[in-house]
Amino acid sequence: MPHLNAAYNLARWLARDANDADDVVQDACVRALKYVGSLHGNEARAWFLTIVRHAFYDWLGRNRPSEIVQDDGTALDTAIDHAAVDPEQSASRNDQTQALVDAVAALPLQYREVLVLRELEELSYKEIARVADIPIGTVMSRLARARALLQRSPLLHAVAGNMSGSER
Amino acid sequence: MNCNEAAATIAAYADGEVDRLRSHTIRKHLRTCPSCAAKHQELLALHARIRAEIPYFKAPSALRERVLATFADATPARGDRVRSADRWRWMTGGALAGCAATIVAWVIGTAIVDWRTNEDLAVEAVTTHVRATLGNHRVEVASSDQHTVKPWLSARLDYSPPVRDLAREGFALVGGRIDYLDRRPVAALVYRYRDHMIDVFVRPPTTHAPPAALRTVRGFNVAHATGSGMDWLAVSDLNAAELSNFVARVAQ
Ligand SMILES: [Zn+2]
Repeated sequence: MPHLNAAYNLARWLARDANDADDVVQDACVRALKYVGSLHGNEARAWFLTIVRHAFYDWLGRNRPSEIVQDDGTALDTAIDHAAVDPEQSASRNDQTQALVDAVAALPLQYREVLVLRELEELSYKEIARVADIPIGTVMSRLARARALLQRSPLLHAVAGNMSGSER
Repeated sequence: MNCNEAAATIAAYADGEVDRLRSHTIRKHLRTCPSCAAKHQELLALHARIRAEIPYFKAPSALRERVLATFADATPARGDRVRSADRWRWMTGGALAGCAATIVAWVIGTAIVDWRTNEDLAVEAVTTHVRATLGNHRVEVASSDQHTVKPWLSARLDYSPPVRDLAREGFALVGGRIDYLDRRPVAALVYRYRDHMIDVFVRPPTTHAPPAALRTVRGFNVAHATGSGMDWLAVSDLNAAELSNFVARVAQ
């Protein structure tokens, strides 16, 4: 069930909580059924992820309104969310990997979503632009920002000092 | 291309979003500029680490169940209790124009909708065939004798499927089982032809459009025929021509 997995993966990374992701995906499925008329063949996946994203933001507004940050391109560098660290999962991973997972989870929402859509869902810039309802230029700048934040993440550097590619 | 121009496009290049002409220009720059090449390598390394180390969360089965229930609840919303045939009409009618069935199947990844459309029927037949083969649950009544297989099946169904002996044509009857198509019990006859196993599902004709005479699903051939007052749907890895010949003969 590739699409349900994609939906859940996106919701899980956005909400950073398994139960909340469940709720979001269920809501998205109800919406998908309602607006099913706008489904177009191979655009289906991006279309469904768009619905998941809308369902997530609505859920966020109802449940965690404080997390909706205006994206003014500043101040977000330091918006590392330590509440995102998931202690349940840390036992089975090595420190390096856990640090990377935590760093992704700690990315500000606007950056986390484009990163997940690009790196995990492997959507094209054009598809991400449609899902996140932003221009392609913004997709590119948010991706660049997300990656820069990861590369400079204090979570990563606290563990390993450096994650630059030349070492691996 | 200078370093400023390169910096603006390296990420897009690493993401495979740059056309061939510009890719060529960027590659040329990367070969001669160690600092841009290092940036490019860092992006590739980060991508590789994310792909390898960041979990991809698969939908839990409990969620899948609830989503299925959501669809089940939502489906008959415009009528009171409806039979599945009517529900199909509801799904294929009006504004939804058949998409609801598609999206349910597509979201869930399995054919839970009425599969009376030709394609879904063939897909379900193949799925059923594969499941029986993998589960080593090919036959519940093992017999090459049609007079053993037919009464066994008839006793368990509300119809009596004809069972033919085609041994002289090389199709050896192996036995039969009760399986499910269209969420209804159906007679499955099992034949062997050389080293190919054939499942043939036999059921009374439905009011829906008959499936295509021949289809290929995931490498299996699915051949359909009507005859002797029944619908016959044969599934096998046997080649299309011989399977079509078989289903025509067995349905006669
Ligand atoms: Zn350069």
